[in-house]
Amino acid sequence: MTRGGARLFIIGFFAIFFGAILLRVDYFPLSWVPMYGFREESDRLTVAVGDLDRRDRGFAALRANGERTYLSRRDLNIPPANFRRLYQERAFGEGPPQHLRERARLIAFNRWWYETLIGPDPAIGQDYPRDILRSANATFGYGPNDPRRFVQLEAHLDFATFTRAQLDSGDLTTPFRERRQVVIGDTGTRVIRHRIGS
Amino acid sequence: MSEMAPAAAAAPRGATRFDRFFFDWFPAESLGALRLYFGIGLALYVLTQYPQLFILDAFGPQFHYTVPIWYFHALGIERNVPWLAWPVAFATLAACLCFAFGKWTRPAIVAIIIGIFILKGMRDSFSGDVHHREVPIFALLILFFFSKCGRTFGIDARRKGWPAIAAWESSWPIRAMQVYIAMFYFWALMAKLRVSGLFWFEHGGRIQETLIARALRDGFAADGHVVNLSLAWELSQKPDLVFVFGAGVFLFELFFPLILFVRDWRLRLVMLIGATIFHFANFLLMNVQFYFYPFVFVCFFDMARVHGWLKRRLRLGPAVAATG
Repeated sequence: MTRGGARLFIIGFFAIFFGAILLRVDYFPLSWVPMYGFREESDRLTVAVGDLDRRDRGFAALRANGERTYLSRRDLNIPPANFRRLYQERAFGEGPPQHLRERARLIAFNRWWYETLIGPDPAIGQDYPRDILRSANATFGYGPNDPRRFVQLEAHLDFATFTRAQLDSGDLTTPFRERRQVVIGDTGTRVIRHRIGS
Repeated sequence: MSEMAPAAAAAPRGATRFDRFFFDWFPAESLGALRLYFGIGLALYVLTQYPQLFILDAFGPQFHYTVPIWYFHALGIERNVPWLAWPVAFATLAACLCFAFGKWTRPAIVAIIIGIFILKGMRDSFSGDVHHREVPIFALLILFFFSKCGRTFGIDARRKGWPAIAAWESSWPIRAMQVYIAMFYFWALMAKLRVSGLFWFEHGGRIQETLIARALRDGFAADGHVVNLSLAWELSQKPDLVFVFGAGVFLFELFFPLILFVRDWRLRLVMLIGATIFHFANFLLMNVQFYFYPFVFVCFFDMARVHGWLKRRLRLGPAVAATG
């Protein structure tokens, strides 16, 4: 490569990698480097309060033949961190971060190319809880008529909600706490909420 | 030791600022030495990124991905084949070592990239969270691929007796790597401002929210303490201190590109130690797994001189011991 060729290569290299930043591309290996960049404007913060024992036991599952069992990360043969995301986030309808931020505050041109080339907003169109049920059945090769297929998955999780005043003062001792039970079925997903404590 | 003294004498008359920035910064042997140290670091980095794939039952159930990464989706790859992680990881590590020691350098780079695509795809498709830890690595490997990094300081170069490369051929890929690494932080700041504005930093900001979410995601133990990341939980209750950290992040990401113009290696070292502390703190407080990423900072030094210095130290050690 001559000096001139190297100059052109450098320009082309940065045109692609930095051009992706301007266009807000976030498809590996290109990225506009948005890690942790999105903060939703809200006067409260709701976070999951995990329960290692429950999570380790896994989803409470119901088969088509009426058998009740648990579906753990070992049954599904996936890493613990990924199971945590399925159990605590996807099951409760929370998508992966790149879905949540993909269309946030796009300028008109970027919105146009996303909608034209990529399609609808994944944060709106995707049914994350149903994806888990579909995945679980596909993992074990259970077809629609298989009596062993899972027809219902359940997860239980506590959530804590902090007000802006609590966050700003650093007093995190008395959040509003709620226990949610998500029931993922063939026909849809229900979330049952119970207030707990203060 | 001012190892970044530009090879200005080699610059042709009428060289532009662009040329001086990219072509006249490093001597010829730097690129090969950088390849050696970067390659060894990359092998370790790969080891730190995919350990979760090796705790799976290699011949157990093949999980059907919930949100496959885009290229898996395009290729119709829908399920995880757990045993595949082992040969791919071994091949990737072997390729990293070939790359490091200058044996079949370009094919090794291609093998590393393919290996990373596969391992990353496996890791990120279970639940759909696509991590960014391989993004800068990919860009740097592309620069290595199109450079003459394999023509010096390696097994092939020695055996085949390839002639030395020119200083400018060594300099431009290293400078381009530096620009990419330095700007990665800057773009991270711009991303925050683009989607969240200064609201990202207000009060405890996004940092406090992440600290709380990460600290509570494994819940509380029987004694009332959080199970993991107790330091994050403590810190999240000090929003003023978190705000100071947030301001520090703002300044760090805004001004980090200035490192591209710093000639004193000591000052660069201080800046890079700051960046390393930033990554370690993110790991300790929020379990952000970029902790071994600072290995890429070898790009900011003339590694040929560092290599020579290390060799002298290693040779001197036994001699001193013998005379002592």
